[in-house]
Amino acid sequence: MKPIEHFFRKYFLSMVGIIILFLFLNAALFFSVLLWAKKSSDGSEISIHEVRNSITVDAAGNLVSTDVLNDRLKEYHSWAMLLDDTGAVIWEACLPEDLPRQYTPIDVAKFSRWYLRDYPVFVLEHPAGLLVVGTAKNSFVKYYSTYKEPYIRIILTGFTVMIAVNLIAVVLLIWWNMRRVEKAVTPILRGIETVSSGKTVSLPEKGELAEINRQLNKAGAFITKKDNARAEWISGISHDVRTPLSVMLGFAGQLEDNQALPTPAREQAACIRRQGEKLRRLISDLNLTSRLEYSMQPLRLEKVYLVELARQVACEFLDGGLQEPYTIVFCADRQSEPASIQGDEALLKRALRNLIQNSIIHNPKGCQIDLSVTHGQAGTMIAVIDDGVGVSAAQLKALTASASHIESTDEKLNLRHGLGILLVRQIIGAHNGTMHIESEPQKGFKTTLIFPS
Amino acid sequence: MLDTEILIVDDEKDLRTMIRSIFESAGYTRVWVAASGEQALALMAKKMPGIIILDVMMPGMDGFELLQEIRTVSKIPVLMLTAKGEAEDRFAGFELGADDYLVKPFLPKELLLRVQAILKRTYPEKSRIVSLDAAMVDLDQAEAIKEGNRIPLTAKEYSIFEKLAGNANRIVTIGALCQTLCGDIWQGYETTLMTHIRHLREKIERNPSKPVSLLTVKGLGYKLVVKEPKK
Repeated sequence: MKPIEHFFRKYFLSMVGIIILFLFLNAALFFSVLLWAKKSSDGSEISIHEVRNSITVDAAGNLVSTDVLNDRLKEYHSWAMLLDDTGAVIWEACLPEDLPRQYTPIDVAKFSRWYLRDYPVFVLEHPAGLLVVGTAKNSFVKYYSTYKEPYIRIILTGFTVMIAVNLIAVVLLIWWNMRRVEKAVTPILRGIETVSSGKTVSLPEKGELAEINRQLNKAGAFITKKDNARAEWISGISHDVRTPLSVMLGFAGQLEDNQALPTPAREQAACIRRQGEKLRRLISDLNLTSRLEYSMQPLRLEKVYLVELARQVACEFLDGGLQEPYTIVFCADRQSEPASIQGDEALLKRALRNLIQNSIIHNPKGCQIDLSVTHGQAGTMIAVIDDGVGVSAAQLKALTASASHIESTDEKLNLRHGLGILLVRQIIGAHNGTMHIESEPQKGFKTTLIFPS
Repeated sequence: MLDTEILIVDDEKDLRTMIRSIFESAGYTRVWVAASGEQALALMAKKMPGIIILDVMMPGMDGFELLQEIRTVSKIPVLMLTAKGEAEDRFAGFELGADDYLVKPFLPKELLLRVQAILKRTYPEKSRIVSLDAAMVDLDQAEAIKEGNRIPLTAKEYSIFEKLAGNANRIVTIGALCQTLCGDIWQGYETTLMTHIRHLREKIERNPSKPVSLLTVKGLGYKLVVKEPKK
């Protein structure tokens, strides 16, 4: 769930980021165009100030210009004139012949705003009068505009509002769109999660993504079908092996007990019987573990008193002729005596039996097995502790890390020693309990089952 | 008991032979086999089996069908062999009237013990007298016989003793004993149980503080050590 939301949030933020980036990019482009235009048009005309500064009044009161002014004006195809208060030209440079030498105030007003006979014209006040500088035709575009103040104000605020509305609209639309995609995609992603945990999904097969939903439903159903087929297959195999194994165990047991046979032959028969029993355990474990794995094992829940359960299992072993080098010590504290859970008695017994059996199998030289039931804060704890050879840290890690799934490629499944621990973990898990393993080489093996109260 | 007729019904020849040899080597002399339900019914008409060992899975008439057929005419104890895992299904045959079942693959000893238990239950010996180290207990009279004196057992003592004797030489858990004392809600009756046990010991042990017949198995329960009846 979390990663999906995280993904969409990130996607949304990145979209907003893209838009902001886009705005900045445009602003940058706009200003660079301005800069470029300004740069490329600079220096293509003579400054009116340069012209004014070149015209001076000498001691005799005549207007004189520097020698370079004419060359400069020619270079830029420009001309200049100076009008006095009456509108008469009192000084000129490169002034085209077709232009008049006398101007009325109307003429002045007109050309200072627009053009003088198509010449773009600039005017500047000079101590001697009005300086007029004209440039080549079509070298300038002149605009003249006047606006009312409220008009400009509204235009400016309107423009700001427009940009803001645009931004908000874009962000909202992205968000809305994202929500839509999220709504459509989230069930699919959840479905994928469900399928990956090996369960079926049923997504509604409508809308634009109906096809994907349909495929996902199909995949889920397919996996379940395959799992069921596998569990059925294991069940079938284990079923078929039982009768032949009965015959083998039966005859081997009889040969072993047959006093008429020589001792070596009886020992061999005992060996066959022992191996057969191993096979028997393996088969029934394999069958049960696969059934638990694929939820094909219905739990028959009833009130189970944990202390009594542990007692019964201990008695089974003691009555069943526990071999000489093994001892089982049982203890239970008073608080745990009334502790009970809703559980499947047969399965819980099976789990405890497996743990004790494991201690026996892994310690051929014998060991003491402590079976204890105690009551603590976490709930009721059943511990099976032996003082045997234990396992190395690496083996312990493999045991605790072993997946609860029977994965077809799982090589960690150490079938040589049965499915003991895996099966116990599954059974305890099905009862909402937890299992902890502790062990060190030569320091025994301890399994704790905790049932929350 | 060894003269009880035993009928084994199984379609698998090797399994038939194996089961037969288990009983024969245990001393049973009258063991019959049938390869199918029909054959078994025919055999039952001629013989008088004391117990039937019946495989569930058989071609044709299967074990359950045969059991139903048998139950219409007789109450012969039936032990069924099933190839289903023990935890898979509650054994379906109980409703049809099977007395016990055994999951394949089984050990010869298991089969023998189950059959003996059923036989003991179904055909109790005439005098139900349990021989202990220092005393005998007559279950029919609910009396302990110690050093020639007959000492009556109270009802509670009797039910505890009966439970222990029924599981002679095996541990009976505290819970199971309390349950026979007080029924399903047995929690908290451990001290009561201890009192009854102490009284029982006074009646059957030579030295009640050093019991040799009614033993305490620490934390687990009690065990009655019964002497094998002399033949």
